[in-house]
Parts: sequence; structure tokens; C-alpha cells
Amino acid sequence: MEYTIKYKAKNSYETEVTDALWQFLIAPQDNESQKLRLAEFKNSLNAATEESTNSLNFNIYRVIQRKAFKSIEFEANFIVRKEEVNPFSALDSIYNAEHYELINSLDFRITHEQFLNATELTQFPKTGINFEFEENRSVFDNLQQLNNWLFSNFKFKQQVTDTRSTTEDFVSRGAGVCQDFTHLFLAIARHNKIPTRYTSGYLHQGNGYKGDSQMHAWAECYIPEKGWLGFDPTNNLIALENHIKVAHGKDYSDCAPIKGVLYTSSSTNTTEYSVEVFAREENAPDVFTQSQSQGFGKRANQQQLDFQMQWQQQQQQQQQQLREQSGTIF
Amino acid sequence: MSETNSIFSSYEKDSKFYDEIFDEDGNVKKVYQTLFDLYSGHSSQDYARLNDKAKASFFNQGITFQVYNDNEAKEKIFPFDLFPRIIDPKEWEHIERGVLQRSKALNHFIWDIYHDKKIIKQGIVPLDLITSSANYLHQMIGVDPPGGIYNHISGTDLIKHSDGKYYVLEDNIRCPSGVSYVICNRTALKRALFGVFNHYNAHTVTDYAQNLLEMMETVKPRGVDEPNCVVITPGVYNSAYYEHSYLAKAMGVELVEGRDLFVENDFVYMQTIKGPERVDVIYRRIDDAFLDPLEFRPDSALGVPGLFSAYKKGNVCLVNAPGTGFADDKAVYTYMPEIIKYYLNEEPILNNVHTYHCSRPDELKYVLENVDKLVIKPVDEAGGYGISIGNKLTKEEIEKVKKTIQASPRKYIAQPIMSLSVHATYIEESESFESRHVDLRTFCLLGANKEFVLKGGLTRVALRKGNLIVNSSQGGGSKDTWVLKSKS
Amino acid sequence: MLARVANNLFWMGRYIERSEHLARYLNVNYFSSLDAPNDKSQSRKHVLHSLLFMANGPVDKDYELTEENVFYDIGLNPETPYSIINAVKYARENANGARDLISTELYESLNKFYHFVLRYDSDFFVKKGLYDFTTQVTEATAVLRGKIRGTLLHDEVYAIIMLGVNIERATQVVRIIQAKYYDALNAQGGYEDKFSKSYEWTTLLKCIESYDMMRRHYRKTPTSITTLEFLILNDDCPRSVMNSLVQVKKHIEQLNLDKNPQKDSAAFLIGKTHAEYCYKTVDTIEGNIESFIEDIQNTLFEIAKKIEKEYFQIR
Repeated sequence: MEYTIKYKAKNSYETEVTDALWQFLIAPQDNESQKLRLAEFKNSLNAATEESTNSLNFNIYRVIQRKAFKSIEFEANFIVRKEEVNPFSALDSIYNAEHYELINSLDFRITHEQFLNATELTQFPKTGINFEFEENRSVFDNLQQLNNWLFSNFKFKQQVTDTRSTTEDFVSRGAGVCQDFTHLFLAIARHNKIPTRYTSGYLHQGNGYKGDSQMHAWAECYIPEKGWLGFDPTNNLIALENHIKVAHGKDYSDCAPIKGVLYTSSSTNTTEYSVEVFAREENAPDVFTQSQSQGFGKRANQQQLDFQMQWQQQQQQQQQQLREQSGTIF
Repeated sequence: MSETNSIFSSYEKDSKFYDEIFDEDGNVKKVYQTLFDLYSGHSSQDYARLNDKAKASFFNQGITFQVYNDNEAKEKIFPFDLFPRIIDPKEWEHIERGVLQRSKALNHFIWDIYHDKKIIKQGIVPLDLITSSANYLHQMIGVDPPGGIYNHISGTDLIKHSDGKYYVLEDNIRCPSGVSYVICNRTALKRALFGVFNHYNAHTVTDYAQNLLEMMETVKPRGVDEPNCVVITPGVYNSAYYEHSYLAKAMGVELVEGRDLFVENDFVYMQTIKGPERVDVIYRRIDDAFLDPLEFRPDSALGVPGLFSAYKKGNVCLVNAPGTGFADDKAVYTYMPEIIKYYLNEEPILNNVHTYHCSRPDELKYVLENVDKLVIKPVDEAGGYGISIGNKLTKEEIEKVKKTIQASPRKYIAQPIMSLSVHATYIEESESFESRHVDLRTFCLLGANKEFVLKGGLTRVALRKGNLIVNSSQGGGSKDTWVLKSKS
Repeated sequence: MLARVANNLFWMGRYIERSEHLARYLNVNYFSSLDAPNDKSQSRKHVLHSLLFMANGPVDKDYELTEENVFYDIGLNPETPYSIINAVKYARENANGARDLISTELYESLNKFYHFVLRYDSDFFVKKGLYDFTTQVTEATAVLRGKIRGTLLHDEVYAIIMLGVNIERATQVVRIIQAKYYDALNAQGGYEDKFSKSYEWTTLLKCIESYDMMRRHYRKTPTSITTLEFLILNDDCPRSVMNSLVQVKKHIEQLNLDKNPQKDSAAFLIGKTHAEYCYKTVDTIEGNIESFIEDIQNTLFEIAKKIEKEYFQIR
């Protein structure tokens, strides 16, 4: 299966920005089940672009603009080949006590400690969780149940939460977007000692799956004897060939698609962005086509604004931050 | 001691504490005798004058730090004491070996935690102790810092207990500060009382900067011949800014701020009047969280976007490495004897103070029952904040402390009340020398095939009578500290 | 050297120089007016207005021109951006940013200066301390000039400080000329108070510490034309615009080794301006003092902007 992915973003600022740097975590990962065949990344100002890796070794683009501007557009195109794999086996549903012993062993907890502890965004909610792992049920089945529980008990609804929303917020509202589903999945799975990581990527929506025109999120769990497997609680799916992975991390903060550092006095800005994923005909030529939909979705995307900051605010922050420096006291 | 001597007439002796100057019978110790005689030759007016001059000199040179109170910054000098502390060569040799041992063991420990975590697998240090620390950085997992060094600069705080033995209070391996005061104190004492130096043979302390630079050069990135070293500071408003500028100046390297640096293709450059210049080794005096807004706190205005990826690629060296903070955590401190044995296969040279972990139910029980006999410390605070000393608390305060501990036991440890030794200290109010509690911060450098312990240190003194907290932020002062050369 | 630090050094130089001119103008202009030969020059309003104009340009109509207000605002008011206290504060702040590059001696003098100004009792200053304060400020700046000259290696650091000092000096001298030019215009009265022979020219020279030098040079009572010639074109006068331009040219050449600087560069503009002044005569200035002042102010501003852009850009 091959996909063409088109990622577009447009940032506009009320007043001039004199200096800016963005980091994009949007390129599909090259791994066993998916091959990044072609990638291009460009911007409307021809600002210098460089490639690097983040701390978890995922590929990033960095764009550096040192001339004043008020608006910039980015466009990325990717062709990805997904292998069809069958992750299921007859043993998935067979209870194995050794798996639980392994999960509780010190060595296992040391190896996976990075994805076992709750983060700020993945705290186990104090109330409202009536889901528990069942004894005598396989790890796989328990996680399937969790996936199903989230899907059936929460509504997919946009604009009720944002990237800073906690699991408590999500539980009390009963609705949210893929990040919220994923964060709560992470919280519960980790609470049950299953190493679980936040995964960001693209979802091919040809089959009517939920995820809207943004990047998608799901969870990857480590299952003994099986390895890492993706669960998509927003759609009650196992992540297979429709899920194109970009990166993983402890939570959303490790996977934000765009981060920016700006030097401007501008107090307001708007960011629009869109994602399109198309299944490709076999043997189609490797040419990126013009976008099929015109322009962007109507609403500015909060997700991206979070990581952008204004230089003026920075100056005020600087004073505050200076005081927080531990080096000052001895 | 002669009772007629007005300078020392209000000096109270208390057998509960180890006195650095006087022995149990009230006689001046041999090593201090000459100094004592010389000092007795001056009048109290002389000291009042010298004291004023020394203060004015610090103030005029701008050797000050800011204290923030209700959002208002006040410029203060770090009080300097006219009576030096003397450490004899044998005693120093012990300290130096001990400090170096700890520093090396900590470096092994940090390497292990960010790689194989063998010490946890062996069950010597609990996993939770590490993973629950806010200063343990996942970003550092698997990173190999140039030269394999994490804690290039360590500041170990020592005290002398009433049993006359040195104990380590804590190891500071994030951004230990205070070394510039060691040098300033020496200069100030030389100016004020130059005569006394003729009678003692003290090691110099001015070689610190040269050794710091040499150490930094040993941890240069691969492929670099002559590394370009810099010091990065949060800026002129930082209370330790004097120290940052002093060190840059003494090493002859640039003092940069985050906005002077930028990263291109994972290399770090500084913007000079002649264009960009590559930077190889950065002595950073900003905290981990602020180093790189793309990797750590996104609102950091002090750091350099992309710095961490340059570091991870080995294109720049950060001194100290990010993520060392979990290892100088007060809870890890209590495992130091085991850590030293595990990595170095040696017995600890310096003593650790016995510590009760409030996270352990049985120890918590003991602590709650004995608050009045203990010092309660928060695990994560620097600068002497949040410390409660049991025997100074009222009944109500003890109850309050108990409640605080019970609310989050993991956050607190308790130690027996250590009695810091006392030393003669000039007290302005009484215009005479009185006994005050002191500790000692040592400075140790660790590079690739380079070790250095500054022969001297910062003797911090609690200026308030009976006070045990010596931190500058809590009204402490400091003394010039002489390590005598051995007569050979 | 770091671009930011160069910027700090440049502005340290400028603010030290600025505080000196402000203090001297306050001192000389005020005290000269007390026994000025004509009524207008002696008028309180006239002199207070002149002081404020020099410090901050056109004076707000509603401003209450009293000694206390004007002295305080120019001298010790932390709220007025043009005050001496702020100039000294900024000078020290900039020195802080470049602390590792300047000598301990220079820093210590500047730091003492700062604390002196900061601690000066403002009540005493506006009532009795005008002479004492302004004299001490000018003395402190003279000490600083000496420390800059005598305790720093004459390398890039020195060149950048001197660029700042000289650009600021030319700017302030032009500003004082402008203020006194308007004073001379306003003071015109009876027969004897001809513009060209106004008492204000003598004051002008004294405000720039050039009266004695000028007397030695011309051996005549100053007139508008000789005063302007001396203060603008005479390169032997250490306070003249021409002398500052010579210094600026010398120091930019130290930074820019390029013999043929590019057309848009700071070095080019400085060279060009210097050449223009070499062949300027006072008669071309005298008739159009106002437009001359405007031109030179613009040029100095342009030079500073170009230096900033070429050498001080961060990122």
C-alpha cells in the first residue's frame, strides 16, 4: 500500500517578525513496516531548511528565517510505502502468567522505565475510571478491552480540549480529540505496568475513521513476546497499514508537530494547517500533485500556537527565569 | 587565651561544638598561634576600619549579588570575614582524596544510569529513586558526553562535627557556584592584613581558572584541535553574574548569553563583530530546563534553540552535562557509601551523615517521633530553603512540620542535628571576634585525564549567633581559607 | 568579540559621554544666566526652557518651568528617560554586559560613579546641590575617560568604545549648538543684542568647555560665525564636530581593514562625511544653521545605525 501525504501550514503575524526558527516533526518514520520513499519540504520565503534529529532520534526539519516577514507558508510532501503485516497470532488471547511476571520484574521495569511513569499529561485520573485489567486475561486482550472501553465511553469532539488538557479534563468532559483518547490510554496502561508510548502520525481516513484533518495520535504498547503494537482508541483499531507513524514519545510534548521560537512584538498570530493523505495507485509516477482541496481548514489551530512564543513575553519571562536559576545560590 | 585581650574577650566557648581555634583546655591551637598573636596586636578600632574598607572594596568592585524581595532587586555584598580558616596539610590531603573519590564515583554513577543502569539491576539503588527525580532527563539516555564526563565541576560541602571528623553534607554537581569568592576573599585579606601572610605558607587559589580552562579543553568534541571555549550566563541580572564574568575574564574566553549563540546544521556558533565563530565547549551557568527551548522548557528565553541536538551529536560539549541533577539529590546522597563501593571498589574516605528516608515507613515513623532531634530537609531544594532544625522549633511548629512530611514523605529526608564546628569570626555589632558555625565548600574538576581539587575552598560562616545555616541567601558570610603547604 | 558585547561597549561609551554633556550644560548654562547682561538671557523661563530643550528636544506647553522640576527631571528623575541618573544607569548596565572585557579599574570607577549618582539626595540636589552634583558628574566622566584611555588595550574593545564616545560627543555638541542657537534668536532685543554678538555664544562655548581654547585661537570676543567655525570645523578643538569625525574615522578603520569600504557600509559613510567637512567653510553654514543642524544630526544617526547593523547584529 502506498500513500501520498501533503502537510501544509501557514503562519501569519500581525506585526513583523524579525527572526524565527521552527522545528517540524512531521516526516514519516522509516521502519520495518513502512518505507519513506520520497520526501520534500519547502517554504514560501525560501528560508534555510536543515535536517536533524530530536532527542529520541526522529527526523526533524528546522527552518531558520533571519529576515523580517509577516507571513510564511510551509509545505511537505511524502510518499510512504506501508507493508501489510499481520501482527495477530493465535496466542494473543491466551493467558500467560509468565507475561505478568515479566512485566513485574525489575529488569523489565528498568528497560522500559521511560514509558512506564506518568507524566503531567498522563496522570491516572483520581476518579471516573471504572476500567480495570482483568486477572487471567492476556495482556493483549486487556489492552483491546481498554481500547474498546475508551472508544465506547468517550465522544470524539473537537475544540472542547487543547494540548494542555489533562486526563482529568477529558474524563470530566467525556469528550475530546485523539490526543485526549491517547493520553488517557497511556495513563491507564502505564498504571497497569504496561510500557506505553504516545505515537503521532497520519491516518488514512478513506474508511471513515475519526481523526480530522490534523495529525493523528495513538498509543503503542509493549506486549511480552510480541513487542510494540499500536492501539488507536479514537477509532477502536489496532494500528496497521492505515496508520503512518511519524514519532513517539512520553506524551504529546515529545511529539508536537511544530515548535517555534519567534522574535517579534506581535501579540496575535494565526496558524492554519491541513493534512491530506491519499492512497496511491500502484505504479503511479513519483510526482507530487497540487493540493486537491483549496486553502486550509477554517479555524486556526491551537495546537500549533502553544509552542510559539513572542519575544516580548520572553523578555518578561527572562527576569522571572533568572530568579529560578539554581546557580544563583550557594 | 589572655582575658585582657579585648578582641577575643567576648569569645564564648561551648564544648558541644568542635572549636577550630581553641583546644579543649582553651589554649590556642598550634597552627593558629602565630595568627592569634598577630591579630591580638591590633585594636578593635583597627578591625572596625579594616572591615569597613573591605566591605567598601567589594561594593565598589561590584562583587555583589541581587536579593529579590517582593519583586525588588537589592544589591548586596557577600559578607567577608577578616579571620582566615587554616587547614593543615595532612587534614587537607584527606579532604582532597575524599572529594575526588566522590566526584569520580558520581561520574560513574551518572554514566551507568544513562546507559545500563547496572547499579539498579544489582538492587543497590532503587529504580524509583531515579525515575521519580525531576532532574533525571530521558533526553540523556544513551548520550555519550565528550570524554565520558558528566560532573566536570563538583562542589562538595563538608562540615566538622563535634567528634572532630569531617562529614559531607551534600555534593553539588549542577552548577556549583562560589569559587569566585574564594579568590576575592584571598585578595581582600591580602589587602587588609598583608602582614600575616609572611608567617604562613598558604597554597595559591588563583590557579583555579587556568585549571578550569585546561579541564574544558580535555573534553573538546572529536575532530577539534584547539577548542573554542565560552561561558554562558543567564545575563547581567543573574545574582551570580559577577562570578560568570570573573571566570570568563580569568580564562580569557567569551562570556556569552543565549542570544549570542545559534545552531546551524547541529553546530553551535557565536555571533561576533566579524561574523559567526564556532563554539566547541560551553561552561554553562544556566539550568537544564532552560538550555534549549526546543527540547526542554519551550518558554525558555535564556537558552539556544537546537543546542541539545548539537550536544547529542557530539558537536559541542556542555560543562556540566545536562541531567546530572538526579545524582546530587538529597535522597541519592544517602546511598553515596554504596555508590562509591560499587563503582570504585573502595571504602568511602569521607563520612556521610546518617540519613532517614521519610519514604520508608519505619524510618518515617522514627522521624515523626523524633522531629525535635533532627534536621528535616526537602529533597529538591537548593540554597538552604525549607530546612527545619528540630531543636529550634516550637511545639506548634513541630506539629506543622509533621503534617508537611506526612503529606508527601518522598519529598523529605531527616538527619541527626550535626553540630558544625565553630571558628573565630569578626562581628560588627560587638567589634570583636566571636565564635560562629562554619562549613567548607570544596571545588573539584574532572576532565578526560585531568583532575584538580582547588587547594582552598569557601568557608561559609553563619553570622547570626547560634545559627547553623551558612547559605549566602540566608545571611551567611565567608572566610579566606588557607591550605598550608607541607614542610618537606 | 561578540556582537552583543560590542553593542554594550558602544552604548557604554555613549552614555558616559551623554551624562557629561547633560551635567555640564545644566551647570554652565544655568549659572551663566544668573548674571547675564541682558534681561532675556537672565530670565528664568528662558534658561530653564533651554535646559530642557537640550536634554529632551521641544518642550511640552503644559510643562511647569520651575527650577525644581527641570533640575530633577534632567538630573535625578528615574522616570525621565533623558535624565543623568538614567544615562549613568544605562552606562553601567552596558558595562555589566561587557564586564569580562573591560578593565577592573574602569569597571570600578563606573560602579562608584553609579552608586554616587544613585545615592545623591534629590531634595538637596534641586535646592542646593546643582553645582556640586553636576561638577562631580563631569569629574567622574573625566576619570572614566582617563581609565578608558589608560587601562584598556587599544584594540577592538577600545575602538568600539571610542566610536560610541565620539558619535555621542558630536551628537551632543550639535544638540547644544542647536539649543543655544535658539536661545540667541530668542534673546535678541535692543540695539546691542545683535544675534551675531549675542552673549549666548560665550555661554555656548563654556557649555562645551571650549571658551578658553577659542579665546586663545581667535583672540577676539566670540561671534556667531567664529563660534560655529570653532565648534564645528576646527579639528584642533577636542570638542568640535570635526574632531569627533576624525576620531570616528580612525576607529572605524581599526575595525574595518578594508581599504575600499563598500558603498553602503558605515566606513564609507564616515569617510564621505569626513571628506565633506574637510572642505566645508563656515559661510556655507552660517546662513542655514537650522538645516545644517538637521543634516548633521541625520548623518550621525545614519552612521550609528550602520555601525549597529554591521557590527552589532545578534543572530
